[in-house]
Amino acid sequence: MISLAGRDILNTWGKFIFTGIGLGLLIGVTLTMAGVYRGMVDDGKALLDNSGADLWVVQQDTLGPYAESSSINDDLYRSILSMPGVAEAANVTYLTMQVRQGRRDVRAMVVGVVAGSSGKPGWPPYLVAGRQITRSHYEAVADIATGFELGDRIQVRRNQYTVVGLTRRMVSSSGDPMVFIPLKDAQEVQFLKDNDAVLQQRRRTAENPMLNRPGVPGLLDAVIATQSSNPYVNAVLVRIRPGFSAEGIARPIRRWQRLTAYTRSQMEEILIGKLIATSSRQIGMFLVILAIVSAAIVAFIIYTLTMDKIREIAVLKLIGTRNRTIAAMIMQQAVVLGVIGFVVGKVTATFAAPYFPKYVLLMPLDSVTGFFAVLMICVLASLVAIRMALKVDPAEAIGG
Amino acid sequence: MKALPFQGRTLALIGVVLPLLVLFVYVALRSGPLAPVAVTVSTVEARSITPALFGIGTVEARFTYRIGPTFAGRVKKLDVHVGDRVQGGQLLGEMDPVDLDDRVRAQEAALKRAQAALREAEARQAHAQSQAKRYEQLLAVHTTSEEIAATKEQDLKIANAALAAAREELARVRADGAAVVAQRSNMRLVSPVEGLIVARDANPGSTVVAGQPVVEMIDPQSLWIHVRFDQTSATGLTARLPAEISLRSRNGQSMKGRVLRVEPLADAVTEEILARIVFDELPDPLPPIGELAEVTVTLPELSAMPVVSNAAVRTVDDQLGVWQIQDGELRFVAVKLGAGDLDGQVQIREGLTIGDRVVVYSEKALSERSRLHIVKQIPGAAK
Amino acid sequence: MNKGIVIEGMRKRYGTGDTAVDALKKVDMQVEPGEVVGLIGPSGSGKSTLLKSLGAVIDPSAGRMMLGGEVIYDEGWKAPDLRALRRDKIGFVFQAPYLIPFLDVTDNVALLPMLAGLPNGEARQRALDLLTALDVQHRARAMPSQLSGGEQQRVAIARGLVNRPPVILADEPTAPLDSERAMSVIRILNDMAKKYETAIIVVTHDEKIIPTFKRIYHIRDGVTHEEVGERRGFD
Repeated sequence: MISLAGRDILNTWGKFIFTGIGLGLLIGVTLTMAGVYRGMVDDGKALLDNSGADLWVVQQDTLGPYAESSSINDDLYRSILSMPGVAEAANVTYLTMQVRQGRRDVRAMVVGVVAGSSGKPGWPPYLVAGRQITRSHYEAVADIATGFELGDRIQVRRNQYTVVGLTRRMVSSSGDPMVFIPLKDAQEVQFLKDNDAVLQQRRRTAENPMLNRPGVPGLLDAVIATQSSNPYVNAVLVRIRPGFSAEGIARPIRRWQRLTAYTRSQMEEILIGKLIATSSRQIGMFLVILAIVSAAIVAFIIYTLTMDKIREIAVLKLIGTRNRTIAAMIMQQAVVLGVIGFVVGKVTATFAAPYFPKYVLLMPLDSVTGFFAVLMICVLASLVAIRMALKVDPAEAIGG
Repeated sequence: MKALPFQGRTLALIGVVLPLLVLFVYVALRSGPLAPVAVTVSTVEARSITPALFGIGTVEARFTYRIGPTFAGRVKKLDVHVGDRVQGGQLLGEMDPVDLDDRVRAQEAALKRAQAALREAEARQAHAQSQAKRYEQLLAVHTTSEEIAATKEQDLKIANAALAAAREELARVRADGAAVVAQRSNMRLVSPVEGLIVARDANPGSTVVAGQPVVEMIDPQSLWIHVRFDQTSATGLTARLPAEISLRSRNGQSMKGRVLRVEPLADAVTEEILARIVFDELPDPLPPIGELAEVTVTLPELSAMPVVSNAAVRTVDDQLGVWQIQDGELRFVAVKLGAGDLDGQVQIREGLTIGDRVVVYSEKALSERSRLHIVKQIPGAAK
Repeated sequence: MNKGIVIEGMRKRYGTGDTAVDALKKVDMQVEPGEVVGLIGPSGSGKSTLLKSLGAVIDPSAGRMMLGGEVIYDEGWKAPDLRALRRDKIGFVFQAPYLIPFLDVTDNVALLPMLAGLPNGEARQRALDLLTALDVQHRARAMPSQLSGGEQQRVAIARGLVNRPPVILADEPTAPLDSERAMSVIRILNDMAKKYETAIIVVTHDEKIIPTFKRIYHIRDGVTHEEVGERRGFD
């Protein structure tokens, strides 16, 4: 027996390929949509991975440092470091802001990392160019998504920083690229907003009679000095020795240090469960709509193709072709259309993904699921056409 | 199988479908977890590095003089302005003496009065002495009574005491006078050394409390830089090391200096080590006090050892190490790091030998199972 | 017993009650194997209904029908697998050839034996043999759209014959053809009828070919009459 579907497709392959490409673009959009969602989740996970921490210690009863603001004293890490099972504890600050370079500015998450050698929690775990920060001030490592290049001078609030290294996939949970600068500078960035603000603050202090008392020389200077230093950081990143449980270390920190500590899984829950929950539902809606639209299009196309063949189907039935054979023919065509569409969609999605401003992650498993979903949709969509084909009366082939 | 009947059509079909399939296979293999990770590789070399320390500090003067009155008063006049250079002993200004001059005159009158009282006491004493002497002689010849002679003797003693009292009173009044004069001269604000006026905190007419400075001056020859080094990156910081100083206002222009001393007290709060750097040669014009300066202290050159870029150093499972490529296999090797320089070269004390090939840059985090694609430069990271 | 076509007292009624229409009132036909018989009737005479009944795609209301010696209908009873019966017992040749446009000439013909379960090679061989017999073997690889009208009709005849059915129904097979080609189609039908012992009914009103039938049935108002008198027939 020859394949009727195959012969029909070969006969009108141009129509098939073009319809398949059209469907493929739609499937490509669907896959990209799923990729956008995966990208958002992955951004969150990348943020956690890249911080290199097993435990996040933040201000009591906050969801910090990513989902909520958190502020703790910068010497708290010492007491954490002395706990058994803690391998490393490092201060870190996060601040999303505009970073200027020349005439343009880039939205970036400025991360303050403790001075020292690479490999400390919070440091970029790998680079694609340049080197890690070696000076404890005024050097920066930037994600390539910022568009900065090695040697660029960038302006973060009051200071200029030299880009000495570039990294990749270092993003905040909302996908903003990161710029790593030394912690001391970053603390200043969080506090000393700009020269004008500093000046205004000083003037305000000087005008306060309680703080500027004529009989107490030096009081004003002391007050201003305390005002312009920032002994706070957003979180302490803790790395735990192998063999110790994160929860076991988090418990005494919560109990005795009066701080909140999150383990990796809790942090994921916060980032993925809370931060991007609405966005993911939004995208889920889109996926459903796109699936319905795809199904409608496949159904329509297959229906039209079958309508064009009504007479042939009548003849086929008249000469004794089984219904099963005719149904298989239509279904095979729908599936072939789906396969062409899927291949085109996968290729377009993959090639289009890097051009999206935010990360689009195409998971192979999603593609496999998508493939079967497409097949399912095609099979379901062909049912309408099959039903119509089966209702064709063989008598129609006999004229009159 | 019968040969396909429509050759041209079949060729065209193959022409469309085949590239699509090739593209699809390429896409499936080159993206996602199956895709190889682009990395750059370098060879561990023996090289001597010159470690350096980097800190920032502010320009300060070693000697600062805050000149003000020793007790509360009103500024009468102030002759110098910020930026003036003054000599040692130069009169800078004066406090308002208020009633001090009158008190000096009163003291002078009191002195005269005391002197007059002294003269009177001297006269009385001389008289009493002569009387006492005469009656003593008269008693010796029994021409007077013993009682009268004793009276005269007592008068003399009283006169002596009155004289001594008058003398001490004079000394007291004189000392009082000197004190008032001294106070009067303390109203003058005099420069203790040759120097530069850097602040004028009060103007004539304003009242200042005791100890509050009216002018501040520095010794410009004593400018130094108060530098803070992060404690973790201050290994080897000692006095007399050469330093390069780059002032904020003179960006790109570096000046020579050296470490004068490392402060014995570190800043426990900010976790910094403090040091003083002096200029080899004072810049002209002088940098303003308080200007930010970036200081790079160069340590002695170290003997050659295996070095890698600090970008190659990664942390895996709480271990510091590098990804080594051995016979095409990726392997994580724990290393012990030595000193590093500011250009990112870091010594390897243990774990690697010269000639080992290590991954420097990678497109993403690596694992033992990563497939590698060795490139000269990571795509997208244009130099 | 007649191995061709036997119809006795066939009636077909559409609808029920007052709106009922009797399309066929009394049809009696007999066609012997190897015989080519004409069926002539004006529009609305019940010709189409008769053809559809013969083609086993509509069921008659009453009467008997036998094709190739097998009873198809008998007073309300009907054979269980009409589809296979159509495939094995009946060959169709239509006014328009109705070839399957996406199959080439060989496969258009070979499709029927394939549907009947013959292996592809054997089916194609049988198709090629027939095409050769019909003198269109040179177009065996062509698609139907590339053929002329006569060639298409010959391919359609080949398809009707390929399963060697005992009965062939030809519905205006010569209508789109000029007289020369029409005659050649009639010749082929006659040749095939003899060669394969097939009973052939040709529905037509083509004046050119009417004289070629030895026997003719007329149908008018659902009633058939055999034309009386000696006819020359086809030589």
